[in-house]
Amino acid sequence: MAAASERIEPNARAERPPRDSSGMRTLLSSILIIAALCLLWEGLKNFSKSVDYALTVGETTIDLSLFNDTQLPHLGDILGAFSEPSQRNGPPLYAMLLENALYTLWAAVRGFFIGGAIGFILAILFAHSRLLQRGLLPYVVASQTVPILAIAPMVVIWMGRAGALEWSVPIIAAYLTFFPVTIYTLRGLTSIPPTALELMQSYAAGWWDILVKLRLPNALPQIFTALKISATASVVGAIIGELPSGIQTGLGIAILNFSRYYNQSPPRLFATILMAGLLGILFFAVIAGVERLVVRWRAEAAS
Amino acid sequence: MTSIISIKNLSKTFRGADGVEVHALENVSLDIQEGEFVSLIGPSGCGKSTLLRMIADLIQPTNGQLTVNGKTAQQARKDREYGFVFQNATLYEWRTVIKNVELPLEIMKHGKEERRARAREMLKLVELGDFEEKYPWQLSGGMQQRVSIARALAFQPRLLLMDEPFGALDEMTRERMNNELLRIWTAMPEMTVVFVTHSISEAVYLSSRVVVMSPRPGRIAEMIDIDLPRPRGSATRDLDQFFHLTSRVRHALRQGVGLGIDE
Repeated sequence: MAAASERIEPNARAERPPRDSSGMRTLLSSILIIAALCLLWEGLKNFSKSVDYALTVGETTIDLSLFNDTQLPHLGDILGAFSEPSQRNGPPLYAMLLENALYTLWAAVRGFFIGGAIGFILAILFAHSRLLQRGLLPYVVASQTVPILAIAPMVVIWMGRAGALEWSVPIIAAYLTFFPVTIYTLRGLTSIPPTALELMQSYAAGWWDILVKLRLPNALPQIFTALKISATASVVGAIIGELPSGIQTGLGIAILNFSRYYNQSPPRLFATILMAGLLGILFFAVIAGVERLVVRWRAEAAS
Repeated sequence: MTSIISIKNLSKTFRGADGVEVHALENVSLDIQEGEFVSLIGPSGCGKSTLLRMIADLIQPTNGQLTVNGKTAQQARKDREYGFVFQNATLYEWRTVIKNVELPLEIMKHGKEERRARAREMLKLVELGDFEEKYPWQLSGGMQQRVSIARALAFQPRLLLMDEPFGALDEMTRERMNNELLRIWTAMPEMTVVFVTHSISEAVYLSSRVVVMSPRPGRIAEMIDIDLPRPRGSATRDLDQFFHLTSRVRHALRQGVGLGIDE
């Protein structure tokens, strides 16, 4: 007879765990991991150099030329590249990358909000109509199997014809971001403990009250999981979207340019990739911060 | 006294996953008077929770008549005639304790100040006045269930439906909760309680009438009036009459099970 959804252990009372030490520990462990990866990078390079980029084990010889300085630059050279001029008589690389990163970020943010809104509305429609869910969800899933590289040029052409070329990159980014929001939000809206829903029925609550007072708050942790995925995906989408756009600014364009000159100067491409990674992490961190403010009941319980 | 719940020849048949029909309830008839405290007791599968949920219009009967306050169960639910208490407290984890108690009042469009005042009053009634701003996870199981009782009473329904509300609590907490519930019920003389339990002593201690049910198919085996003196307290459990009544219920339960097996 007991409801299958018994989630709260009787008499199990969680005390608030100390918070500060765990934050410090996270920071410390991430620094250690980064240090270990740097050591591995440089260690592999040094080792490969010491064996002349060819390691012979028994009969077979392994080619280690991947680790030479023209393929895989030293970390110091990558960091150094930031302060060197990006082109002859040009501004230093970091200034040029920062300008391009901001441009890409702005497109990613617009794409994130467009995609997020579309994903959210689709999830609410699907949660309330089984017919729509059955009819449309397969296409939503299928949309993500189409390579974004195939869609991007089409979007650029369409938006160009519509006279809104500056929106082509955000729309390509939105194409990547709406999907996780739809899937996670839908799950959050519909995976409600049965008695929580029966409680609403016992009050003869309408669909709007059930949505606002039960489904949405219940879905918030999942929505934020989706938004964190979407934040990083929107940066990727914006970078890819820039490639066929004909636009001259953006990290995607910088990556394209520096990969053309990779043989002359590998560190600049690596520096650009590092910048793109930082951009994604920054966006992710902002969403995680908002989550801590909004999902307070969980933040307190879980921290 | 007027009949607040009237049940005639009520049946419920579920179709199981394997396509086999399960007779959860067969030809149950029961009248509950206003102000009564009625317990439904029986082994699992006797349909006691099913019966309670049909009164609440959370599930619909297959056959028979059921009126709540002279209306159909559906109309009674729409008119918010009852408060329901589930076995798990079913508090919304994103709401503080007081916001949980305010929930039904929000849905019923009460004003903000009235909501606050009423919720505060109810939390005092269940002696949780100091826990208003806590989140559910910060409370023990017994405290959570008291919040859920406060929430069920917040809009002053005349009927309280309780589905094994203390089933997940330890014995000590359960006895304390029983006293709490009796105190609240005594404070509201017009209120009717229908209480599902599998504990014999709990049923006898609380009720004015115990309805013993038997399984396969679910039906009423016996009704036992509990004429223990009120107010009841820890001394009540030591009365000869208490022992006599609990053994009567136990006997009825045993016979009821036998009845099911014989068929």
